Amino acid sequence: MSEPAPRYRLGVDIGGTFTDVLLFDDVSGALTSLKVPSNRQDPEQAIITGLEALRDRHQIEPGKIGYFSHGTTLGVNTLLERDGAQVGLLVTKGFRDILELRRLRLPQANNLYAPRPRALAPRRRVAEVNERMGFDGRVIVPIARDDVIAQARALFDGGADNIAICFLHSYRNGDHESLAKQWILEEFPGAYVIASAELWPQQREYERALVSVINGYIGARMGRYFKTLKEKATAAGVGARIFSTKSNGGVMSVEAAGRRPVETLLSGPASGVIGAAFIGHLMGDTRLLTLDMGGTSVDMALINGEVPYSNENTVGDFTVVLPAVDVSAIGAGGGSVAWLDAEGVLKVGPRSAGAYPGPACYGRGGTEPTVTDAYAVLGIMTSILGGEMRLHLDKAREALATIGTRLGLTVEQTADAVLQVATANIYAEAVPQLARRGVDAKDFSLLCYGAAGPTHSFMLARELNLRRVIVPPMPGLLCALGCLVADLRADFVRSLWHDSRAMNDDQINATYDQFSAEAENWLAAQNVDVLERRIVRSIDMCYQGQSFELNVILPDGPLTIAQIETLFHDHYERVYGYADRSSPLRILEARLQVIGSTRKPDFSRLRPFAAVSGGEPVTRRIYENGEGGEASVYQRAALAPGFRFEGPAIVEQYDTTVYVPAGFSATIDRWYNIIGERTS
Amino acid sequence: MIADKIGLEIMSNRFQAIVDEMAQALFRTAHTVFIKETQDYGAALVSTRGEVFAASRRYGVLMMVGKPMDDAIRAMGEDVREGDIFISNDPEATRGMATHLSDVYLWTPVFEAGAIICYLWTFVHMTDVGGRVSGSIAPSSYELTQEGIRIPPQKLFSEGVLNETFLKTFLANTRSSGQNWGDMKACIAALNTAMRRMREIIARFGAPTVSKSIDDVLNYAEAQSRRVIATVPEGVYHFSDFIEGDVAGLGLLRINLTLTVKDGEFHMNFAGTAPEVRAALNLPSFSKNGHWMLVTGVVNWLCTREPSIAYNAGLVRPLKISIPKGTIINPDAGAACGARYSTSHKVCDVIIGALAQAVPDQLPATDSGQGGILMVAMPDPATSETRVSVIQPVVGGSGGRPMADGVDGTMVILNFLKNVPTELLEREMPEVVIRRYGLREDSGGAGRYRGGTGAVIEFETHSPFSTVTARNLERYLFPPAGRQGGQPGSTGYTLLNPGTPEEKNIGKIDILQVGLGDVIRMGTQGGGGYGDPLERPPEQVLSDVLDGYVWRSSAETAYGVVIAADGVLDVAATQELRNRMRAARGGKPLKAIDYGPVREAYNALWPTELHDAISAEIVGLPRVQRQTGHQALYAEIGRRLEAGEKVLPGQVPMIYKELREHKLMSRRLARPL
Repeated sequence: MSEPAPRYRLGVDIGGTFTDVLLFDDVSGALTSLKVPSNRQDPEQAIITGLEALRDRHQIEPGKIGYFSHGTTLGVNTLLERDGAQVGLLVTKGFRDILELRRLRLPQANNLYAPRPRALAPRRRVAEVNERMGFDGRVIVPIARDDVIAQARALFDGGADNIAICFLHSYRNGDHESLAKQWILEEFPGAYVIASAELWPQQREYERALVSVINGYIGARMGRYFKTLKEKATAAGVGARIFSTKSNGGVMSVEAAGRRPVETLLSGPASGVIGAAFIGHLMGDTRLLTLDMGGTSVDMALINGEVPYSNENTVGDFTVVLPAVDVSAIGAGGGSVAWLDAEGVLKVGPRSAGAYPGPACYGRGGTEPTVTDAYAVLGIMTSILGGEMRLHLDKAREALATIGTRLGLTVEQTADAVLQVATANIYAEAVPQLARRGVDAKDFSLLCYGAAGPTHSFMLARELNLRRVIVPPMPGLLCALGCLVADLRADFVRSLWHDSRAMNDDQINATYDQFSAEAENWLAAQNVDVLERRIVRSIDMCYQGQSFELNVILPDGPLTIAQIETLFHDHYERVYGYADRSSPLRILEARLQVIGSTRKPDFSRLRPFAAVSGGEPVTRRIYENGEGGEASVYQRAALAPGFRFEGPAIVEQYDTTVYVPAGFSATIDRWYNIIGERTS
Repeated sequence: MIADKIGLEIMSNRFQAIVDEMAQALFRTAHTVFIKETQDYGAALVSTRGEVFAASRRYGVLMMVGKPMDDAIRAMGEDVREGDIFISNDPEATRGMATHLSDVYLWTPVFEAGAIICYLWTFVHMTDVGGRVSGSIAPSSYELTQEGIRIPPQKLFSEGVLNETFLKTFLANTRSSGQNWGDMKACIAALNTAMRRMREIIARFGAPTVSKSIDDVLNYAEAQSRRVIATVPEGVYHFSDFIEGDVAGLGLLRINLTLTVKDGEFHMNFAGTAPEVRAALNLPSFSKNGHWMLVTGVVNWLCTREPSIAYNAGLVRPLKISIPKGTIINPDAGAACGARYSTSHKVCDVIIGALAQAVPDQLPATDSGQGGILMVAMPDPATSETRVSVIQPVVGGSGGRPMADGVDGTMVILNFLKNVPTELLEREMPEVVIRRYGLREDSGGAGRYRGGTGAVIEFETHSPFSTVTARNLERYLFPPAGRQGGQPGSTGYTLLNPGTPEEKNIGKIDILQVGLGDVIRMGTQGGGGYGDPLERPPEQVLSDVLDGYVWRSSAETAYGVVIAADGVLDVAATQELRNRMRAARGGKPLKAIDYGPVREAYNALWPTELHDAISAEIVGLPRVQRQTGHQALYAEIGRRLEAGEKVLPGQVPMIYKELREHKLMSRRLARPL
């Protein structure tokens, strides 16, 4: 296929309600964005609709798209809504209940009605195979073909769509899993079989089994989706290879994604953080607290030089040990409902009015007061979608009055109180999250996005004592931007679990050499020209007898055990303030991440907004700090780099409303970001 | 009462943020297994009156509210200065703040303009604090001094200066001094973090507002708690249950409760409870109102009724406690208390049992009641040094709930324990092979809502001279009870070399020597069922059978559900069988509590009045006489009852008199330890 000269780069983020399409013109620097309704039945349809709209409305030929990356919530929704495939699981004899016992601990404290966890593969579809490896990878009980086939047959007969295999100690010796997989494929050609050590060879049988089971659970649907997308996009004239975002903030080809869909679970929040990091990088600000606030939740991540990763992530009821961008979710958003408890104390959330009926001021029948109603009453917001939808102020006032009368407050005072409590809620959740990462918030800039992020962030920044607030030009499109700018990225793991003194330099180098080969293969299979390839090697270690591990980044080149030990002690001392250099160490996991840098859009001539006539700024009556006042109201598209204004001010744009309270001043930087700083 | 209904939520969020950050700092800086895996640590903000006004619900143990710090504060004396950090683990000097020596507390005052505003408080369960056994805790220890070094409240830091003499002395008396000091440093880091934050909010809001808010949040929780309690029908409710003291050579030890619900308060009178024992099962509560180890059941019930309830000591203010001195839950000075968790859990069961009579549709059936920790010690073949490792927490299923089945394999009350991956365990202990670790099928009590199944663990040791120890094993004799027509769950068991000619049922383990190739299988309790099993939809029973939670035979006998050999529900036969089973009940009402045949036979033999009479006979006696009297009376009366004699409560004084005069030296009196 001959490709026309590529000119455009396309990032698409398929969300629950809307699909965001962001197109960057490499030649002119222009950004074009579109919002099309998502399609639950056929998720790829929204992309096709977007491509058609680009062609019809903006005269952009699909054939001129040179880079095409997208993120989908299909996998995570399938898992959260529990409507995936029937996975059968084969385990070692004696361990049928890996999924049932989990790690025992229940997520809800002090709750006698804590829900009974439901395994992804019910017990009836878990079968035992009489085989056993020792911890050192030696065979204790050999595996037999007849046994495997009989168990697999029983699972298929019982309704299993596919089979995941997780045998004890397979991370150390995967022979039994491979044999079982091979035998099943011989006997049941075309079956979808997943061997746990092949997918993610990490020690800890429950977590490893879960990765495989989830892959099977969402696999068939995701595979179909990626295939259909590719077919339809090709038919629409797209010649570029298509990429999918990953939980680790990178991208992979849709072919790879079809095989390992479990790697896409947390790609949504990850993309937002990658988009935020890109903006921070442009500005030269690498210490960011990112805050994505929508209708029901706030997603936070802390970028301290590097994008943060976590190897222990939660998706619904499940722990996922694949590396993912470390994002914490808080149950608070624009739709959070304000209410009074039996003692008459004002509470906000955790319940949300959701998309329907939504806040009272949307005029869709909602009567409960929400955070958004408080914005409306205080004059912060009078319309949304760039004026397309007027808010019903009377309905907002009515809703807030229901609690205001009981509190003995005016409607404005009530609205002010609702925002204060909502801010305090986010504060209470955010502070320990920052503590978990061992940093002090005041050294960080708050980069906000999502529909409500720019509205609420300045209030939160004041509370958290953050040095400045950054509002990117398109706060509703940061995930799509993340898709545009993400690199190819893959992770590899090998569990070693050796005392460091029992290992020699050759062993450790051999491990990483093997990794590097795998990484090269992976990158080659993506079949794309990369600007630069980077390999980040790291190792998880702990003191012997302790279970608190640290991930230590390793330098390039040949390694020695002594060098690794020193690196660990140094790192430990940095984190904990002291290190016991004579204590024996244990090497747990060897890790490697390969990164293929893609060409980034050149934002030096960025024009994020279509030109609008500036017009005189108007003022609007708002209410803050207990009294009424005047705020300047600006249109975002009219704010040019270098412009400076003082709070109280409101900036309206299509995807959000920016509220800059009194006590902040703001400037527009050369990338069209609003930079807010405290003046008092 | 609550002045500022908006400020309250804002300040309460601030306090919560501080205490969560504090707990997080402690967790992040510490690194011992107890903290990382079993989450046995805590952080709290404490009022000048010694009440916890903020505690973490996210990190650490979930039993912080109701820790009484008042006597620890009193013990500090007058010479309290800025920069002082206090330390103690002494149950007696702190009168029930510490309840065993392994929990070491560090705290510091927050000053503003020369006055104390509040205290910052932490504790960690240390791996070892000395004493007669490694790890400091053994069920068979019989005096506090065997369980480690005692630290009466004193300054670890004086105005910021470390008391090195004290520190050296303390650490020299423990087996894990490096780890202990690490844990203490983690506590200090947490205290420093919280101090910084507390200073920030005092600077921002002013000391008077902060002090007022502390009162407010406590009053708020109290008001919420009273409102929820006021929904419970007023009245007097009795319940009792037994600690199985056989593991320490003791018999059954009664926890007896009279719960009076009145004016939005619970009055819990534990008269009639067994005397303190010469074993580590005592719980030094000092009969304090709302004591944290007594009220877990009520606190969980409150938090379940009102999920957004303020989580602080205001909650426990309406919980009034009265326990006679000298009982197992209010022992005299010097009693061993290392393994008091079993006792605490039993008290929780008893309170739930009493409360369930008042509000039967709000509380689950009894859970496994066992928070056991199974450990193995074996010599390293290379170095001959002994290595000790936790094999698994051994816990059982939850009771059925009024609207849902119990959780399988773990309890909703003690739900923060984590298990250890088999792959990790076998690496740590190469001489142990785990042969099986999973659910114990068909062990949950039948009910409209099924009790959660227990668990089974089976392991083989490939080393000579291995020692297996366990603590907090419970409910091997009496199963978890069913409720509102639900059936009891199953009792726990331990088998040595199952399925071989040498198979032996060995009951609870205290310390067990095992050799090369020995296999141990432990089964934990299934929880009790809730509601009539005949009301459980047959499709759910079928589903349980297909998943193996319930066996086909039990589906028939307990649920009246007939499943054909091909796994298909036989609707007609089920209907018919259920009709027959209902008819066989002869119109008798369902049991509000079903203890199971063993306990019911025991209850028939030992009416409540007889226990009460024994209790009354010994209650005022000096310690040793009380203990020997308790043992001797139960032994003697038990002998007579089992021989078919009738013993009336009125005869107890005479039997005691005879025992004193003639048979006091009966072998069962006081077991030499």
